[in-house]
Amino acid sequence: MRQQYFFVYYVLLTAIQVLLGNYFTFSPYLMVTLLPVMVLCIPTKYHTVWALLIAFATGMVVDLLSEGILGINTFALVPVALVRRSVCQAIFGDELITRQDDFSIRKYGIGKVLFAIVIVHSLFLVLYLWADAAGARTFSFNALRFACSLAAGLLLSVFVAEILTPDDRR
Amino acid sequence: MPQRRRILPTLAVAVIFIVLEVAALRFMRSDGIMQDFFLARISHVFKAKVWGGTQRIGDYFALRGANDRLAEENFRLAQQVRSLEADRERRHLDSLAGTFGRIGDFRFQRGNIVKNSRGRQHNYLILGQGSEDGVTVHTGVITSRGVVGIVDAVGRHYSYALSFLNPEVSISARLGRDGAVGPLVWDGVRTDGAILREIPLQHKFNPGDTVRTSGYSSIFPPDIPLGTVEDSKIVNGATYDIRVRLFEDISAVRYVTLVSNDGRAEIQELEKEETP
Repeated sequence: MRQQYFFVYYVLLTAIQVLLGNYFTFSPYLMVTLLPVMVLCIPTKYHTVWALLIAFATGMVVDLLSEGILGINTFALVPVALVRRSVCQAIFGDELITRQDDFSIRKYGIGKVLFAIVIVHSLFLVLYLWADAAGARTFSFNALRFACSLAAGLLLSVFVAEILTPDDRR
Repeated sequence: MPQRRRILPTLAVAVIFIVLEVAALRFMRSDGIMQDFFLARISHVFKAKVWGGTQRIGDYFALRGANDRLAEENFRLAQQVRSLEADRERRHLDSLAGTFGRIGDFRFQRGNIVKNSRGRQHNYLILGQGSEDGVTVHTGVITSRGVVGIVDAVGRHYSYALSFLNPEVSISARLGRDGAVGPLVWDGVRTDGAILREIPLQHKFNPGDTVRTSGYSSIFPPDIPLGTVEDSKIVNGATYDIRVRLFEDISAVRYVTLVSNDGRAEIQELEKEETP
């Protein structure tokens, strides 16, 4: 089921991200994004090269169609694709990569999945906020923005992970 | 041999990663200024047509507030016209007749905002006027209550402007009519908040003093009221950073005035000659 529908859900979530980028900008302290978890959930059978290209294409689509600096999502998302397999390997074990298996909340538990999401989401936010602030904002402003965005992003990301990595046994 | 087999894919990943990151950085560096870059053009047209269209729905529900503000502005302008006419009669300044829409080298025209981004650090505007309407790069976007942005790229029917709510935009501003001059930048938090930087310590001011455009820029004419002084702090013991509350809430603006300086090319030419 997962292999069949993954990219359909992926494209739909990209469209949702474009809408989030255009309509859900409530505060300068809040930046809501689904992109890091979407890249994290790319099936492990796809090599890092493919993940990098998918992340680049996704970032470009979001950058072109939503508000913000052209290239900023791409810039922050490509490194997430680079570390995706290492994060999965470190948190879910070597077996996941060697068997080209995929993680899910049911298989590995909410704690481990949340931990993986926190890592990729933090990496994305650090790069995004650093590029967005362009040295013009104070550290305290960026730190508060990071904390608010991470908290809001995690809630949504768990939901996205549940959609993109359904357990086949269900 | 197996080691070599492992190194090659790692090398390929590293090379592709670097190429993609460099490409993303190039897009970031060229955003907005590459009006001839086809991707930027497509992006701006899409944003204007699709997101601008949806913004019109929101604008419809804000019409009542906009109408009240227009009525208030209309009354104030009528008062000004009456006062100016009386002044003109008194001084016999008939030469002013026929200068409608132009003051000195500055040319004014009406404009409207099709898309106004807000809530981000790098905000922008898309205007419903383009090169066919006489808009050029570095045209200023103002209202009677302040500066809204600067046009950065121009298409045939639309223009892309950097909003004042963008750290890349800095306006030369003056405290009062004769006070110190410094760069005014957005504070990054409020849509009506700004910081006037680099004001020497010897200059005195009070909360409530008006901040205006200085006229030292070739983009904006002098004496456009921008906001009032809120409070200040001393930076590095050398200058004041003054918090300014803007008159105009830029996130809510729909109708604007576009101001172009016909003498700008000549000024730039002179600056080029003087720059070694």
